[in-house]
Amino acid sequence: MSMTPLSPAADAPRAASRVEPDLRWSPTRIAGALALTAWAVLFWFLLITGRHALYLSTRTNWVVPVAAVLLTAASLGRLITARVRSPEPLSAREAWIMGLMVVPVVLVMVLPPATLGSFSAGKRSSFAGSGLATSVGDIGSGELTLVDVAAGQTSKEGEQALAKRAAEDVDFVGFVTRFPDTPADEFMLTRYVVTCCVADATVAQVRVVNVPPGKFDVNQWVEVKGQIYPLGREVIVNASDITNVPRPDRPYLTP
Amino acid sequence: MVDVPAPETVARKPLRIATPRTALAIVLLLVLAAVGLRLSNPQRVAWMQTYFVIFGSLLIQALPFVLLGALASALIEVFVSVGTLEKLANLPKPLQLPAAGLAGTAFPICECGSVPVARRLAQKGLMPSAAVTFMLAAPVLNPIVIASTFFAYRGRSTLWTMVLGRFGLGLLVAVVVGWVVGNHSKEELLRERPDDRTIHQVEPGCLEPKWRRFFVHMGNDFLFMGRYLLLGATVAGFVQTFLPASILSGIAGMPVFNLVVMMALAALLSLCSESDAFVAASFVQFGPSAQLAFLVLGPMIDMKLVALYVGTFRRGFVRMVVITVAATTLVGALWVEVLAG
Repeated sequence: MSMTPLSPAADAPRAASRVEPDLRWSPTRIAGALALTAWAVLFWFLLITGRHALYLSTRTNWVVPVAAVLLTAASLGRLITARVRSPEPLSAREAWIMGLMVVPVVLVMVLPPATLGSFSAGKRSSFAGSGLATSVGDIGSGELTLVDVAAGQTSKEGEQALAKRAAEDVDFVGFVTRFPDTPADEFMLTRYVVTCCVADATVAQVRVVNVPPGKFDVNQWVEVKGQIYPLGREVIVNASDITNVPRPDRPYLTP
Repeated sequence: MVDVPAPETVARKPLRIATPRTALAIVLLLVLAAVGLRLSNPQRVAWMQTYFVIFGSLLIQALPFVLLGALASALIEVFVSVGTLEKLANLPKPLQLPAAGLAGTAFPICECGSVPVARRLAQKGLMPSAAVTFMLAAPVLNPIVIASTFFAYRGRSTLWTMVLGRFGLGLLVAVVVGWVVGNHSKEELLRERPDDRTIHQVEPGCLEPKWRRFFVHMGNDFLFMGRYLLLGATVAGFVQTFLPASILSGIAGMPVFNLVVMMALAALLSLCSESDAFVAASFVQFGPSAQLAFLVLGPMIDMKLVALYVGTFRRGFVRMVVITVAATTLVGALWVEVLAG
């Protein structure tokens, strides 16, 4: 923050005695520097631990190193400029606001790493295949991914391309989702597709049948191997093998 | 023309100064919050887990853009002369606002970054109406947004309706808002900030060197905009956590109402303009005009932007922007529906 201009009256005696005030720390600038430093620390933390993958897609994670470097420069710059001849006082209100701005940093760093889970699976819209993600050619050949399957469910051509892959072997990783009407020997295998950040997440989902009842908890990450059976807009995987797996380092898919 | 209240002359209350005890109380509360959160782990509750992930992701994605906006704003403040910006005023009047809007094509960051830049441009002498037009147009017209719209709709028959429609309608809406702002001065439009009233000086009578002013302005802008972004992300996080997409299915077939709902949804979801096309494309139950309304309104009005506007502009501005943007987008999208089907 800046300094208040000194009044001529206040200047006069100083000028007369030719004694210039010493440089002193400005509380306002220091408080700002501390808030900036807290945010810089958060972005370095996200970068070093790889936790940015829990919030951003691979397409936008470049903002993390950029922000870490810029915030570090901004906080250092603010600290270097914090010694002034007439410091502006820091109001209590401003100090509390600076404190509040650090709360999200505490939240992200202190809470255990988490991702979107089953809670929002029923609330978010389904992933719609876009040209960037898939083409009918991608769906029709090569290894099928959950993004291909989800994209295939949203267009006539995609549906037809997917139908040609019926009874082929697939290997999908996702987490278990159940709705009130899901039979005990089935679950929905879910994965979120994130373009920029989790706020834009859409759902890619297949129904898994032939599941041992009671063996897999909601939100548990699993690898499902089996045969795929697209039925119109719904895709079913007849599981031959389901195993618990740890949450992937990149829990979200990028189209 | 919009009625923006004149700057008020309010008697300022004496400031309560922060003491070392205040600082200690803040640090203690932060430490207590950290320990309490770690021990209680509120994320065991499903909706809280969802909320914290969405809230965190909104901030982690948007704050770097606010920072880039603050950086650009500080560069403008320190290194761009007033005369450079006043050149726009030499253009023929009907071209001034479209030129300001089209300048947004050269500014590839999303909506959170354009607010501090527009504020700084207006402060440095650009006509406030042009600054507002630039602020609204940049997040819609910039090349990254147009490219993401292209990729989101590639392979669909509505590709060019969406890409050109977004560009054209986005520019039109921004120009209309600038026209409504009219000849209001920056004092009538911009909310005063504490640092506006002080001269940056390290010695009495001397301006601080440019590099010092650059860092002071950059920090001030980031910290000021950041608090409003925090507020907006807090609200948007709740909306995102609890709003079910399924309620939209029944509305998709209702003419006009479907456009209004998609516009409201764009405002509530508060998505980044660089990713919203992929979400819009996922609403396959809605027609292209409703998706277009979503794509044009979202980068101009959403929860976090409204919070940023409140911190940047005077009373009345947010109401004017919301009404003008919504009305123009609705009419424009209806025309697209008529013309493109």
